[in-house]
Amino acid sequence: MSPPYIALGIIALVVLATVIFGLLAVRRLGMNPEQYIVGGRSFGALLLWVLLAGETYTSFTFLGAAGWSYGRGAPAFYILCYGAVAYAISYFLAPLIWRVGKDRGLLTAPDFFADRYGSKSLAVVVALVGFVFLIPYVTLQLSGLQILLTLAGYGTIDARLAVGGAFILITLFVFVSGLRGTAWASIIKDALVLAAVAFAGIVLPVHFFGSPAHVISMVLAKHPRWFTLASGTAPYGTLWFVTTVILTALGFYMWPQSMAAIYSAKTADALRRNAIALPFYQIMLLLVYLAGFTALLIVPGLKGAAADESFMLVIQKYYSPTVLGFIAAAGCLAALVPVTGQLIAAASLITKNIMKDVFNASGSQARQTAQTRAVVVMVAGLALAFWLFRPPSLVELLLLGYNGVAQLFPGVMLAFTRWRASAWGVGVGIIAGIVTLVVLQLLGHATDFNGANPGLVALGVNALLCVVVSAFSRRWARAEGALTAI
Amino acid sequence: MKAIRVALAVIPPLMLTFAIPLVNRVAPRVLGLPFLLAWILAWIILGPAFYWLIYKTEGRR
Repeated sequence: MSPPYIALGIIALVVLATVIFGLLAVRRLGMNPEQYIVGGRSFGALLLWVLLAGETYTSFTFLGAAGWSYGRGAPAFYILCYGAVAYAISYFLAPLIWRVGKDRGLLTAPDFFADRYGSKSLAVVVALVGFVFLIPYVTLQLSGLQILLTLAGYGTIDARLAVGGAFILITLFVFVSGLRGTAWASIIKDALVLAAVAFAGIVLPVHFFGSPAHVISMVLAKHPRWFTLASGTAPYGTLWFVTTVILTALGFYMWPQSMAAIYSAKTADALRRNAIALPFYQIMLLLVYLAGFTALLIVPGLKGAAADESFMLVIQKYYSPTVLGFIAAAGCLAALVPVTGQLIAAASLITKNIMKDVFNASGSQARQTAQTRAVVVMVAGLALAFWLFRPPSLVELLLLGYNGVAQLFPGVMLAFTRWRASAWGVGVGIIAGIVTLVVLQLLGHATDFNGANPGLVALGVNALLCVVVSAFSRRWARAEGALTAI
Repeated sequence: MKAIRVALAVIPPLMLTFAIPLVNRVAPRVLGLPFLLAWILAWIILGPAFYWLIYKTEGRR
């Protein structure tokens, strides 16, 4: 058999086996919306750990982090930092969100806003923000898939066709399985990704250069500044690094699929234990960086988006199609499994917070599940179209998404403080934050603010307006109350 | 006791954000890793230890 068939055959088998495994886990399970969207709020610490890791470590971790360590060096370390900071925040915040979700029967992130601030209009704003920024995240996974399938096909097949096929398969899977299927599929995905990353980050450096430490010395000899950040206000300098870590850490649990994962926990304790255990998963990123550094020595000169292929190119060039097949299969699962959680979350925003709450398109529980399933297919089609018409560059898209969803943070945070924000304040803040982002993007923000992350600037505008408008809207409400009293 | 828990909670995130410009260097290398990378890894491993202490000392809710 020729190499492309071996490698692609292995990928097909692994993906199929994962789908079947996930389907077996959900067979004979009654599907109401709560079961479909948040797994019936029944995930213990272990399944939750697998799900959270499964949704967090995507093909971006697999390819993008290596691409950055290959193409930029130390700025790539921000990915290592923000996860750890996000888990620290989640230790305190996630159990609070979970408690509200459990007591009030919430299914989506906008539900949280509707419940805390008593405004379904605010929930619609939140739903739209979540939806708009989630689509690029799904698209990102499709681009990752395309890179992997092109490499595994040794350039002989039209990868777009294969991506389309894999995406349709995974959409059918989500249609049937719901979030519980995602959690179980994550078990295989996490295990395979760990093995692949260990190969790329340990076997590659040892095989070619004797040891990872030696790889670092050799990169240092060629690029003396590779492992330090540019100082202060330079592009990708320390100011950029610190502000980006803060912004992405705040945005981390604001993704619709992350809020759904919080609701899916059985107990608050499971969430706390996960906040403690998840950082260990981050260590995997060190191996991804080492793979990128090794590739920099073996196949130098890849520019721009091609850097995302770095260590996969080495594997394609120097190892058998079987090895390539398994490692690419791990990468494909790292793209497909998070997509399942993202599709469910995006669809639930539409069915729950727009169709049901705005247009009253409710009905029996079975009907609501059917609606969510139908919207899953529509969202998948939308993401596929977006990807076909606009092949995007990976990291920038993701950073933009984080900047967007991070605007929800003040509203979540202020739901638990003694000082209460108003629905108007939170809503105006979110919209102002998004407008600021868009304006900065159009102006070419990278050089403004001395390299500081534009999302954090937008978040500042957001928080300020949230506080001011909340204060005014309350005073206004009091004045109105006094008038009515007269 | 509360003050200690607050300190335990805020130290790891601070070390991974605002402290970064202060440790932005290659030497000394730790286990072959550049100092900046070693610092980040050290706090990623220490963080869970801090949070585990908080977990063990706070009352179950």
